[in-house]
Amino acid sequence: MDKSRQTIVMFWIVHVGLIFFLYPADIIGSLSVGHWSAVLLGFIIHVSLVALYTKGLSYCAPLNVIDLFQRVGRLFAFAMLLPLAVYFVLIIIITVRAYAEIVTVIFLGNTPLWTIMLLFLAVSVFICQLGVESIFRTGILIALLFFPFLILVLILSFQNADWHYLLPLMDRDAATFAYALRRPFLKSLFAFIGGFLFLGFIPSRVSYQSRKIVYASLGLLPFFLASVYIPLLTFGENTASKFPFPFIMAVDTVDVSWLMFDRVTMFFMISLLCFVILFLSLVMWMTLLLLKRGMPALKAPTAGLLLAAAIYIVCLLVPNWNAVERLMWWNTVPRLYAAFVIPLAVFALGLRHRRRETVRP
Amino acid sequence: MLLPAFLKSRQARDMDLFLHSLYLAEEPVVLAGYTSLIDLPQTIVMLRQLALNADDAGKPLFDRDSGVGTPLREPGEQEVLDALAAGDALICSESGDRWLRLVPVGRTLSRALESPTTENVLRGAISAFNEDLDTNVGLVKKHMSSDMLRIRSYTLGLSQRRKTVLLYAEGKIREPLLRSIVQKLETLPDRDISDLQALSAFFGFSKWSPITRFNTSELPQEAAFALEHGKAVLLLDRFPFALVLPSLLSDMFVSQNDRNFPVIIMFSFRILRILGVLVNVLLPGLYVALVSVNPEVLRIEIALSIAGSREGVPYPSLVETLLLLLVLELTLESAIRLPKTIGPTITMVGGIILGQAVVQAKLVSNVLIIILAASTIANFTVIGFQNATALRLYKYLLLVLSAMFGVLGLFIGIVVICAYFSYGNTFGIPYLSRWKAGRRYG
Repeated sequence: MDKSRQTIVMFWIVHVGLIFFLYPADIIGSLSVGHWSAVLLGFIIHVSLVALYTKGLSYCAPLNVIDLFQRVGRLFAFAMLLPLAVYFVLIIIITVRAYAEIVTVIFLGNTPLWTIMLLFLAVSVFICQLGVESIFRTGILIALLFFPFLILVLILSFQNADWHYLLPLMDRDAATFAYALRRPFLKSLFAFIGGFLFLGFIPSRVSYQSRKIVYASLGLLPFFLASVYIPLLTFGENTASKFPFPFIMAVDTVDVSWLMFDRVTMFFMISLLCFVILFLSLVMWMTLLLLKRGMPALKAPTAGLLLAAAIYIVCLLVPNWNAVERLMWWNTVPRLYAAFVIPLAVFALGLRHRRRETVRP
Repeated sequence: MLLPAFLKSRQARDMDLFLHSLYLAEEPVVLAGYTSLIDLPQTIVMLRQLALNADDAGKPLFDRDSGVGTPLREPGEQEVLDALAAGDALICSESGDRWLRLVPVGRTLSRALESPTTENVLRGAISAFNEDLDTNVGLVKKHMSSDMLRIRSYTLGLSQRRKTVLLYAEGKIREPLLRSIVQKLETLPDRDISDLQALSAFFGFSKWSPITRFNTSELPQEAAFALEHGKAVLLLDRFPFALVLPSLLSDMFVSQNDRNFPVIIMFSFRILRILGVLVNVLLPGLYVALVSVNPEVLRIEIALSIAGSREGVPYPSLVETLLLLLVLELTLESAIRLPKTIGPTITMVGGIILGQAVVQAKLVSNVLIIILAASTIANFTVIGFQNATALRLYKYLLLVLSAMFGVLGLFIGIVVICAYFSYGNTFGIPYLSRWKAGRRYG
């Protein structure tokens, strides 16, 4: 049964949830003029990786990434997937810790950090235990409820835009891609990469058309651009680069006189947080899939709870925001691995798989 | 013991068991049955006519093709009792060696067709199901006069034999769904199906889930609509509701009756119902979140006026809301049990005395009264009482989460509820699927 629509919605949810919090600061920090160039560069990398990955997957249609790697050999699969599992666990830790911190900074000043992290983890473990099809359906429902609202706030947030800040369009730095190896840009890649790997893990009964996914990923470009340009147009580059969460600051300046709420931003951000929770449960589900392949003795509910407990303990051990930033930087290497090696390997193996299939009558 | 003697001894225990001696076709026989189920004089008149006809045709009374009844060959005690309990009459010869089972003139033990009591219809067929199974099947047949309609009958239960009828439209219903239902029904339960809990346990549905797996409806037109759209309908004897399988989220918002209105009005009804659900589930939680955790979200004027109305209320907003909700739930529950004549009194007591006095006594804020009233009214925009009651429960989850985490808790509560909805399924059909006849979307 074709479930392209569910997959696309999930794909969007995952990325939109990741874009608006940390990504704008990284892009604004990586260059001073012509931010569109950095956004586009990242985006092109993203789309081409998604295309490669889905193409490779469609070549070996009913197999998922784990099966594909295991065909080559157990040891190979282990060597390839272990870093991926590490990357997933790190992502969960960083996301839970970072977003809990963001929540306390922005609107729950009095609530202790550990309760928020507990809430995030508990909910995502609960959702991930329900299985991937439930996650997808939840995604549809959540998207129906929250997306209209997100779009509305996104449009409203252009209220204070000063379009002169668009200029200058370009300088030597932006034109030569000199920023591409700078730390903030590499960090910004997480918004492009974290999300799409789930496409290779969903079981074959949830099938999708890879072409549609690639088209759908093109639709994300406005979100990427808006997340960077709304703060830039509102504050100007000089001011925007001083904020830790420039986009949120920019949305905070919006004043809608006909609403009974003063801070529309809050609903906006919380909707995004809900998307992040879905993302967390998806990543957790993938991690559990990997773990269960590695250790078949683990049973479903216990494995999930153990994983969540371990992650929770690590999260508690992260003392402050600097440590989170350091973790994010450390995660760059596994991230680059997950971003480039896995899709390329999948593509290569998929190609090989197809050749064999065609040779064999 | 000879069977007539057995029945005589049985008479001591069942006071409504009659053994009536009479002559049919010049043969002395005994007519047995329950007076509570059988109209005796009418039955005797009918019997005489039948016996006369048989005699004219030259057929012996106890013959298979005499047209009086079906002969029983050396029936056991249990068989005789079963036949009597089913409401049939028995004729046995004086010697007790030959038996006939026949359908007598029964007493009318069901109410006449009436309009529904739990679902109101504004435009559309108003007749509702009643307790008589055959009437119900007939009603559905009247509403769906199609040769695709298939009817299968089962008798479930151990000591209480309960007739159950499964209806479906051949060619419309999805085969796997039909197969799993029939498979379940044919395994025959090892316990009595006295209520829907027992039935859903028999079908293997989760015991604790607040999502109803049977969408119940009192209206034959809804049942016919469901059948035409490839769902299965179960009718239980003595149960004036049709059980529609599978139950879906859209059943909360979509009713066949809507289609008797212009399309735009139909859609506005549905949007209204969806809004009703959101208002009902979200408002109390939102109030608690905004008052106790995130007051800065509100515009300063509203925040001040709410704070002003809460002035003098001695406890946190969660307790305040829970208190008033408790009173509301009590009112709802008691309104079901109240005699119709006392209903208005409760409205007055609830509305004026509780509403007005509770504010003046500064026990709760008047904004809360507005919010809970809106929420309770919104609760019943949903179709089906079983859905409305389930919604009442979700409200409390959101309330608690909101009190702990403010607006964040509220939204995460929504995610949890959505996830729970997406997990629910009936015979493998997800609760959230969009239903089209014969096809299924995610």
